[in-house]
Amino acid sequence: MDEFKKRYDGLVIGGGIAGMQAALDLAEQDYEVLLIEKDPSIGGVMIGLNKVFPTLDCSSCICTPRMAESVHHKNIKIQAYSEVTSIRRHDPGFKVTVRKKPRYVIEDKCIGCSQCELECPVDVPHEFDHGLGARRAIYIPHGNAIPQVATLDVDHCTFCGRCAKVCPTQCVDYTQEAEDVEVDVGAVIVTTGLNITPMDAKKEYGGGHLINVMNPLAMEAIQASNGPFGRPLRPSDGKVPRTIAYVQCAGSRDHTIGIPYCSRVCCMYALKQALLLRHYLHDVEITLYHMDIRAFGKGYEQFYRRVMNEGVNIVKGKVAKITEVENQDLLLRVERLDEGGRLEERRYDLVVLSQGLVPAWQGKGVLDIELGDDGFFKSISPKISPVLTSAEGIFVAGVAAGPKDIPDAIVEAGAAAMEAAIHLEGIGYREQVLTASQS
Amino acid sequence: MGYRLETHLDKDLAPFGGETFNKCFNCGNCTAVCGLSKEDTTFPRRYIRYMQLGLKDKMMESIDPWLCYYCGDCSDTCPREAEPGELMMSSRRWLTSLYDWTGLSRLMYRNNYMHVLLMTVMALLVFLAFIVPSNFGFGLLAQHPEAMETVMLEKFTPVETVHLADWLLAALVSFFLLSNAGRMVYKVMKGQKASLSAFLTQLPRLIIHGVSQKRWKECDKDVWKNWIRHIFLVTGYATMFLLVVVFLQDFQVNDSSVHFTSYFGYYATAALLFVTMWMMIDRLRMREQSAKKSHATDWSFLILLFLVALTGILMHLFRINNWPMGTYTMYMLHLMADAPLILLVVPFGKWSHLIYRPIAVYLQAVKEKAREQRVGAPSLVTG
Repeated sequence: MDEFKKRYDGLVIGGGIAGMQAALDLAEQDYEVLLIEKDPSIGGVMIGLNKVFPTLDCSSCICTPRMAESVHHKNIKIQAYSEVTSIRRHDPGFKVTVRKKPRYVIEDKCIGCSQCELECPVDVPHEFDHGLGARRAIYIPHGNAIPQVATLDVDHCTFCGRCAKVCPTQCVDYTQEAEDVEVDVGAVIVTTGLNITPMDAKKEYGGGHLINVMNPLAMEAIQASNGPFGRPLRPSDGKVPRTIAYVQCAGSRDHTIGIPYCSRVCCMYALKQALLLRHYLHDVEITLYHMDIRAFGKGYEQFYRRVMNEGVNIVKGKVAKITEVENQDLLLRVERLDEGGRLEERRYDLVVLSQGLVPAWQGKGVLDIELGDDGFFKSISPKISPVLTSAEGIFVAGVAAGPKDIPDAIVEAGAAAMEAAIHLEGIGYREQVLTASQS
Repeated sequence: MGYRLETHLDKDLAPFGGETFNKCFNCGNCTAVCGLSKEDTTFPRRYIRYMQLGLKDKMMESIDPWLCYYCGDCSDTCPREAEPGELMMSSRRWLTSLYDWTGLSRLMYRNNYMHVLLMTVMALLVFLAFIVPSNFGFGLLAQHPEAMETVMLEKFTPVETVHLADWLLAALVSFFLLSNAGRMVYKVMKGQKASLSAFLTQLPRLIIHGVSQKRWKECDKDVWKNWIRHIFLVTGYATMFLLVVVFLQDFQVNDSSVHFTSYFGYYATAALLFVTMWMMIDRLRMREQSAKKSHATDWSFLILLFLVALTGILMHLFRINNWPMGTYTMYMLHLMADAPLILLVVPFGKWSHLIYRPIAVYLQAVKEKAREQRVGAPSLVTG
């Protein structure tokens, strides 16, 4: 669906894997869906991952088909690089304001040829590579981006005019402004996903200032074949790391940083990354320090056993301190509970903090629905119908409702789509709108 | 050898302030974050585990709580907010009560009413000592009207009498304190095979650590503030102790003249007033981990010490300004505050840590030396 209509049956906020799934499941039932994504491309966190546990499938190989399916579906309108700025109840549904952020590129005219990107003289740390690689001031986020159009980063642009000159379709427009569009929708599904715990949350771990202490998404990026380095190298000097430590619960289950809950995915992604590092680097020594391993899903325990069997050291003990020593190596201090409480100080080339998941969006000023103690959107019926929120007609799925892995997010997105469909039928949304427009 | 599990240890520990140990999930963060934790003496996690399991005997044999100087790093970073630092603090109170064979310590720590009552009784006894006898205090003063005109301390508190009382008190307090310390050494070293030479060769540590408290510098956190305060407090009190117990003949001046010993008194008073006020303000502000929770005994210690110093300097000022009644009253109030401090807080209360802490450091070195003698391994204990 290409044109932007005045009315949709469903609005999905957030174009990650859960949002795409919810949109597709609604669209397949012949409802018209508007999918809003804040970033230049849909795909969310998953498109930035290397492989997924426990099957070790290539993440983009299973995410891109979903993205393509969504964008080509006749009942789905994808509006990327846009934000929902207000949702007001307007019987029988909602009146929603969507702000289209200016790309400074006419989306319909851009053919994604990358000429502007090649011409642009400004290099900027690339968000998709977590600052380890570079992009231009005008850029297409990555090869799998949908829509495959350029976005001009106005904060870094020098307005030299070279991109406009080289563009074969004259679609660069420096004068573009944000545009607010109002739409009517019958139901809302919130799938706004996650951020990882900020790297400066714990000063004992360097407070985000140690270059060889990585966040797990950056590690995904450097493991991926399309990543900034093409293979796992450490950021400070490009050396192939020989010793790597994983620090579990670095950003969850910790009252001192206000995140007392378990983020559910960190054990598994750390095990997966550790295993893959063993495969990529062969003679690397990897130690994973944990408080306990939570391998709870289908096939996860077996995966954990496999990782141990393939030579990753699993050590019980919470890392208390990380200090930088010569060569920007890192010294970890930990009480080894697996060895009767022996204190250990060990040096590593590279450390990955297994950061937890925090809500990316809490709907402040836009969505008036209750939040749980953990800051994620609250489910009013967590056992029987976990996608229901405190507001009728607004549903939540994926990590927006609480930390979960990809399969769980997808299942929940399907459930949210089903609940939304039931809601739309229940209020007779289409009939009501039809009557209203006739009278 | 088996260990008995005390299933109700939590109820026993609660009055001492140790309530949060069940929050701990044994991740080991506290031990690893602590700069004083060494390869073979790891705390506080191990000790908190004993608390959780109810291993009372293990806890009594352990010196771990005494090795902690409460910088608060562990409590700051504990992912469960189990306050390991405070658990070490409450364990020190608990151990103090168990080392004491008279049971007075336990009574004071567990029961705030008894704590206040005992101190009040002690002060009242001093008050009576000034009122009742005819050859001391106000009884003696009544017989010497000239001492109402100008300060004549000889006619109120004859220095020989006071000096004798000082010596008796010092002997009594030393007896309690040393016998309790002996019990501590026995409990800790029971079953440990340590030779006499291990005990003797490590003896200098006892003195060095008691005086310098230099282990403090091994804390990762910048705790110079706490160290300075303790040094002031110890030197201030030691000065006062020597003036009163050893040099009272010079220190207690009969008339309103100034003797050179007063200058030592000024230092001691300044140090005591300054540090006790500083510590009380910190406890009221509750910013640092170590000041967040205060037991009644923490307060009584600071308040009494503050009052002793305050009444002492007031008495001095009244005396040199030749105000007899003010001088005599302050003298009495001074001793009324001093008696509970010396007789209760030093041997049975918070101040007993002045001996337990150096002994703990000493015993740790003795154990290490004994192990070295057995297996010939180099010492891991530094400092």
